[in-house]
Order: sequence, then C-alpha cells, then structure tokens
Amino acid sequence: MAHETPTVIARKRDRLGSRYAQRIRRDGRLPAVIYGHRTDPIHVSLDEKETLGHLRHGSHVLNVQIEGGTAETCLVKDLQFGYLGDNLIHLDLARVDLDEEVSVGVHLHFIGTPEAARKPGAIVHHAITELPVICRVRDIPEEIRVDLSKMGETLFAREIALPEGVRLDIEADDVITRIELVLDAAEGEAAAVEGSGTQPEVITERKVDEADGDKKEKKG
Amino acid sequence: MLMPKRIKYRKQQRGKMRGNATRGNYVAFGEFGLQSLDTHWLSARQLEAGRIAAQHFLRRQGKVYIRVFPDKPISKKPLETRMGTGKADTDFWAARIKPGTMLFEIAGVPEDLARQALARIAHKMPVRCRFVGRRLAV
Repeated sequence: MAHETPTVIARKRDRLGSRYAQRIRRDGRLPAVIYGHRTDPIHVSLDEKETLGHLRHGSHVLNVQIEGGTAETCLVKDLQFGYLGDNLIHLDLARVDLDEEVSVGVHLHFIGTPEAARKPGAIVHHAITELPVICRVRDIPEEIRVDLSKMGETLFAREIALPEGVRLDIEADDVITRIELVLDAAEGEAAAVEGSGTQPEVITERKVDEADGDKKEKKG
Repeated sequence: MLMPKRIKYRKQQRGKMRGNATRGNYVAFGEFGLQSLDTHWLSARQLEAGRIAAQHFLRRQGKVYIRVFPDKPISKKPLETRMGTGKADTDFWAARIKPGTMLFEIAGVPEDLARQALARIAHKMPVRCRFVGRRLAV
C-alpha cells in the first residue's frame, strides 16, 4: 500500500437486525460485516468517528482487530447510506490478501488550471472524480494527482500518470475532464422561451382519419 | 419552461408521495448540491425561477445542473365552473419531490460561491432545502 494500513478495533455483534443496529449507532458505533475467502461472515461494529476519519483520508484497506479474536485485513467493499443519502449506516468489508488484485475507485486530486479554462464562460468539468483502477491491495494509492495545467480541451483516461503496479479499470478513451463553455444567462433564457408554450405530443392519441376508418370498417 | 416532448397519456391521477427519496438523493454531476427536505410538487415555473436566480448570480462562472424534471401533468378546472364533465386540462407540469431529492447541482465554482448561488435558488423553492457536497465513495 502506498500508506500505512490503519488498524481499527471491532466488537462482535451477537444480536442482529435493524433494531439492534440502530442501538449500536446510537452508541457512536458503526455496524459492519466481514466476509469473503470462503469463511463464515462475521458481524461486527466499529468506532464510527475513527472509521469515518480513515475513509475520508482515502483508506481502502483496514486492519480489523476483533476483540478477543483474530485480526483481518479487509477491503472496504461497499458503503450503505441512510436517510437523505449521506449518513453512513453500514460498512461491507471483504477479506483480502495484500498480494491479491482488486478493483477499487481511487480519488483523483486535480491540480493546476488548464489554459483553455481561462476563456470567459469556460469551466472545467470533471466527468470522473473516482478513477476505477486494478492493482494489488498493497499498491492501492490514497489518491492520484492529475496535473491539468498542460491539458488541451479534453483529458482522457490514458493520459493520467498512474503509479507503478496500477492499471486502469475503464476504457483508455474515457473522458476524465473536459472544458465546457457555459451559456450566458440571457442566452439560456432565450432558449427556454423558444421551447415554452408548446404542448407535448401524445403518442397514444389516435389520428382523426384512423378513427373514421375504423368506424367505416365496423359498419361494413 | 421544462416539459416532456412526448407523452403516452394526456392526464394523470394525482398519486401519493410517501417516504424519502431513495434515488437521485446524492450529488452526482457537480461538486455541490441543493437537497430538498420536504415533499412537494415542484412546478416547471419554480424550477425555471431557481435556474435563472443561480445563472444571474454566477454570470457564466459555473455550470448549474437541474436534477429533477417536471414530467407530471397537473390539471385544474377553470374558475367558476360547475363540477363534473370530466377531468380538466393540464394547468402546469410538476416534478415529484421527496425528502432527500437533489434539486440542483453546481460545478466549476468554489464552495463559498456555490453556497451563495444555491441559497438564492433555495429562496425560490417551495420546500426547505439544505446545501450538500459529494458523499464518501469507495
């Protein structure tokens, strides 16, 4: 790994279900499950503050030390969010070996301003901010730095300098960043006015001629 | 104003809006977003007012994304008409908004500017809103 693997202490959960998970969350802990490598899944809880801190720093791998049990090297596989879509309520951890190849999304850190973005009305649009890469667990970078100062109109995935042992998990021609020209507010309003006033086309509505034809057939 | 180009049926039943948004409830395209905290029918006119407020403030600096689309026809009987004689014509088009729905997103501007622009939009909205950033990802 490009950085030290953080260690978190986990407590085993004996009682499962949403009500017990809610009680755990109320105590400042985060429910999680550890699975993989053809062994039974273990339901645990982690310290919420500590785990969130590691995740915010871009850690993908955690050393989970289970109280009164073994230590497991785990990859953060999935996050589950609750009400309003931004509060973390559950963590999926997959057992991994440090030499195993995995696919993860690595945060892209953009630096510099492209020359083309200095024009009036031009903005830098990042189509991808988490780059999917394939690498060994020990080689997962915390973040990938992307220098935009030398880019033209578009930056493709193949142009990103990846660390050693890391390869792309998306097409090389996929767009990462591009320069977009934003419409002036007045132009946008003009476009909106043009489109207003018309009624949508009803695709199931029968034409008058067709309806007449049907009536004639029935009579005949 | 926003409305569908083609529709299958001219009129719709009112329906119910229960629970929270489980889709379209996170910042997907921009860097910051405006999230609804209430349930409402958001009209195309209100959406347009929000878009204009943000674009006038930003003056071609950032990009504003509208994350909802008014695809529900809302009908209304004319004033002083007797009841009956079938469902009235479409009065306006609305988007169904639930708590958690991301209404607008902004990209390409610093946080303080995004906050100000989204606050201006929030003043035009008929729902309580909050400012959010991108969420954690793995």
